[in-house]
Amino acid sequence: MQVNIEKIENINIYSIEGNLDSNTSGDLEKKLIPVIDANNTKFILDFSELNYISSAGLRVLLGAAKKLNQYSGKMILCSVKDDIKEVFEIAGLLPIFPIVDDPEAAAQKILQ
Amino acid sequence: MANLIEIKISNKIPEIEHVCEEITRFSRQYAVPDKDIFTLHLAIDEILTNIISYGYSDKDEHYIEIRYTLEKDYLKLEIIDDSNPFDPADAPEPDVDSNLADRKIGGLGIYLIKNMMDEINYSSKNGKNTLVLTKKCKHK
Repeated sequence: MQVNIEKIENINIYSIEGNLDSNTSGDLEKKLIPVIDANNTKFILDFSELNYISSAGLRVLLGAAKKLNQYSGKMILCSVKDDIKEVFEIAGLLPIFPIVDDPEAAAQKILQ
Repeated sequence: MANLIEIKISNKIPEIEHVCEEITRFSRQYAVPDKDIFTLHLAIDEILTNIISYGYSDKDEHYIEIRYTLEKDYLKLEIIDDSNPFDPADAPEPDVDSNLADRKIGGLGIYLIKNMMDEINYSSKNGKNTLVLTKKCKHK
């Protein structure tokens, strides 16, 4: 797994490539959770190059969402492949993680 | 005749990736749909992660056998190990309807597999656990 991080104005954009599983989710956790604070409350997660997610990956995202909630922050997922979307659906996470089609739609939604 | 692949690994998390790669490669040879390969990957990852992370009371090296069979119209995954007995049927279901504040972090792995595979059967005999998972599948 690889994470590319970009900050445009006050939006943190994380593009995640490869597999997010028990072997790699700790790496994302280190790069994501500590960044969330009063000054960093807007996150876009671009999953266009993400091929796979397991419950270990979902746990990291849930942890991030919980921390963001303390700062009334927002996290939007975009470009999510169907198999991965199904995992979010079964886990009942669609109401917690808004999913949009592409990064432009994510940027619009996060600025609303 | 059924097509079969057997893999044996030690109880180390990085080994899981090798199993997933082998199973994916084998599945592609028989044109198993990508969607089913995704589900297999998830099942292997979640089950092996649970066994390796929580299944042993000691720090010793243990072996886990993975047997994957492509039957005529379904696929079968068997995982045999000597970890502490654990029947996934006994795992508490996570509350997937709760809101973010109440949402517990964890318990999702087994829940996902139960929902994505057709059948899961656990048995324990002479200190060995056998977990058999099946899913209908069209392949070559």
